[in-house]
Amino acid sequence: MAYPSMGEAHRRITDYLNNFSDAVSYQDVASLAQLFSFSSNSPPLLSVADALNFFQDANRLIKQSEKFSQYGEILAPLFRSLQSYRTGNLVDAYHAFEKFANAFIQEFRNWESAWALEALYVIAYEIRVLAERADRELASNGKSPEKLKGAGSFLMKVFGVLAGKGPKRVGALYVTCQLFKIYFKLGTVHLCRSVIRSIETARIFDFEEFPRRDKVTYMYYTGRLEVFNENFPAADHKLSYALTHCNPLREANIRMILKYLIPVKLSLGILPETSLLEKYNLLEYHNVVQALKRGDLRLLRHALQEHEDQFLRSGVYLVLEKLELQVYQRLVKKIYFIQKQKDPSKAHQLKLEVIVKALKWLEMDMDLDEVECIMTILIYKNLVKGYFAHKSKVVVLSKQDPFPKLNGKPVNS
Amino acid sequence: MDDSTRRRQQRRNQPSSSTSSTAPTRFRSQKFSTNPTKTTQSSNFVPRSNTTTGTTRDSTRNPAHIPNWKSEANTATNKHEEETEAREDVGSIIGTCPFMCPEGERAQRERLRDLAVFERLSGDPRKTSPALAVKKFCRTISLKYVQSSDVRPLAVLEDTLNYLLNLLDSSEHPFEVIHDFIFDRTRSIRQDLSMQNIVNERAIHMYEKMVKFHVVSHQRLRSCSSSSISSLQYLNLEQLTKTLTSLYIMYEASHDNNSVYENEAQFRSFYVLLHLDSKNQQTESLSLWFRRVPSTIMKAKEMCFARQVLRLHRMGNYKRFLYTVSSEASYLQYCIIEPYVNEVRALAISYINNCCYKVHPYPLEQLSKLLMMKELDVESLCHSCGLETLTDNGENKSLPMKQTTFSFPKGSLQSYKLIGLQQ
Repeated sequence: MAYPSMGEAHRRITDYLNNFSDAVSYQDVASLAQLFSFSSNSPPLLSVADALNFFQDANRLIKQSEKFSQYGEILAPLFRSLQSYRTGNLVDAYHAFEKFANAFIQEFRNWESAWALEALYVIAYEIRVLAERADRELASNGKSPEKLKGAGSFLMKVFGVLAGKGPKRVGALYVTCQLFKIYFKLGTVHLCRSVIRSIETARIFDFEEFPRRDKVTYMYYTGRLEVFNENFPAADHKLSYALTHCNPLREANIRMILKYLIPVKLSLGILPETSLLEKYNLLEYHNVVQALKRGDLRLLRHALQEHEDQFLRSGVYLVLEKLELQVYQRLVKKIYFIQKQKDPSKAHQLKLEVIVKALKWLEMDMDLDEVECIMTILIYKNLVKGYFAHKSKVVVLSKQDPFPKLNGKPVNS
Repeated sequence: MDDSTRRRQQRRNQPSSSTSSTAPTRFRSQKFSTNPTKTTQSSNFVPRSNTTTGTTRDSTRNPAHIPNWKSEANTATNKHEEETEAREDVGSIIGTCPFMCPEGERAQRERLRDLAVFERLSGDPRKTSPALAVKKFCRTISLKYVQSSDVRPLAVLEDTLNYLLNLLDSSEHPFEVIHDFIFDRTRSIRQDLSMQNIVNERAIHMYEKMVKFHVVSHQRLRSCSSSSISSLQYLNLEQLTKTLTSLYIMYEASHDNNSVYENEAQFRSFYVLLHLDSKNQQTESLSLWFRRVPSTIMKAKEMCFARQVLRLHRMGNYKRFLYTVSSEASYLQYCIIEPYVNEVRALAISYINNCCYKVHPYPLEQLSKLLMMKELDVESLCHSCGLETLTDNGENKSLPMKQTTFSFPKGSLQSYKLIGLQQ
């Protein structure tokens, strides 16, 4: 930490104050935003922080001139926050930043045009990131972390400020996305619903008006919610939107979208090429795809076990488990093809015994009763067309299209 | 019953407190007194009283309540009772009340004749004693107004809990009455625990016992027939969920101290089993919840059982579902799964009816083996589902296939015994 002289400190602080005041006067949002972009850790910002910690009486400087004191409510907590941030005291930094943000919002509301929207974005971002760091500090001190939750409440207020008829409303989606990130991190995703409702049903919002970047993020998160709810057609729609509108150079983002889109597509009977999995480093899905292609139940179970922690963490485990029925369908279909080659006239009659044998070969020990059970499920859910003659323990397949493809529709419930 | 309706009246009339905590409280890890990998007695349902001396003061994260700043009068129905406990960063209370019920409350309730049947001395509604009176649950406005002499310390709470749970053996009163009393009084115990921020091994065991109580009530209330049962069931499920959530938070807090709890896997499995329902909200909750469960727990036997049951239920694999449940479910797990057993059976009948060869009716004998039920019960279930059965000359019963009249029975399904259930 550099120790400036008193005079130097005084100069740095006054420069900062001037920058702030001028930025507001000239509506220079880029300069303004830089002044509180803590996470950028930019050298000029840090040097001001050092100056503040050294000078210790910045409030006097603020009050010195009307040019600064008019923003006193905003600047005083901002300085405190910057100071705490610099000394690594994240909890205090968060508290002060929230005060600063509150004061800023009050002022923001008075500005008629949306010139300061980018600055507001920076505040929304910084408050979330600061809250996360503050929570980490709390947890490491044996205290319970609650700042991120508070940040969520604050951002809801900001959302309310933007949700009006004026030009500021296009900022609402960015704030929504920050809220999503918070709720997903906290696991309180049910809180997303009210803000989603506002975005999607309020008349003041026109989805197309929002910036593209925000639309992609929004569809990514709402798509993920649909995955959690196993609403696959909706999930497909939203995640595909995010994929097609995402900047192709942003490979990390594409990977994140695919991580959720792939299980959705699999549930709709659409399999990705291995090359796609390789390109985006999603090889944890490779064996799952193979299992579906081959009707290999053992491989599916093995794949789920191998990457269990990963799949559980991302929340797709239950979706992948459910693919079992499609794997069974594939297996039975293969047996049918083999029989067809041997004796086409009898191919549509599948003895349960034969299926049991095939499963045994895959090291899956199932008795006749259970295989019968599986077959009735497959028939009921229209993965197999036909009926089951229980007296003779034979599945009689329909002559036409006995194994209907999903064709982009999920398996019937 | 008189007492409980009056109590409900009282709850309704009390103004609802609007302060509630947003934040779990801090805990001071240096005071955490549990030893790592302490072996615990496998708690029987009828608990043995622990002889313990002294109280260890440890703090916890309390269940995070969503702040309800707006509600002032939300007690339109019992269903919306909330525990509103103010959590202030100032500090927590150290209880000093040596009795199961604070003296002041005991005297007041004697005067008001607000004594439950279990609290009455020789049946006299105006008299109780320190050995019989147990502190009631009530809303606290704020920690500020609570006296430490009204709060019971850990050792007293332990004894109180054991006393309450022993009442379950009583055959003098119908189960609903016993349940209602224990329900309320254990809620008060939890309140005292959280006011004092007690989180340690002993508190965890108490919570485990209380979860057990709610789980067993979950099952036993199903066979009760009084008119208030469905509301009792709803409330019981609500508290079961709350108590479980608090328990999980306590487990999580203790992970940081490397303590291992024998029972954690089983108690975690209850959450999975409570979400067997295939409504969409459940999978969302489960997928989110799984993210936070430690990997070692996920792989533990009891959790694997629950996860397997979940998988089988979601797939509709009735055969393996029934088999797995009957051979591997613990008593408590079965209490939770039981309502699904018959649901699955009805589902199985609908699948079979839909998919089998029309010409040959399905023998009930085979069906009964498949569904692990007595033949007579199968017949009864078929009829409840709107399906007809046939009887041929030789008493062989069967179910004709491809009937179009199938419908899921409305209301809760009658429980048919699960043949082969190992407990």
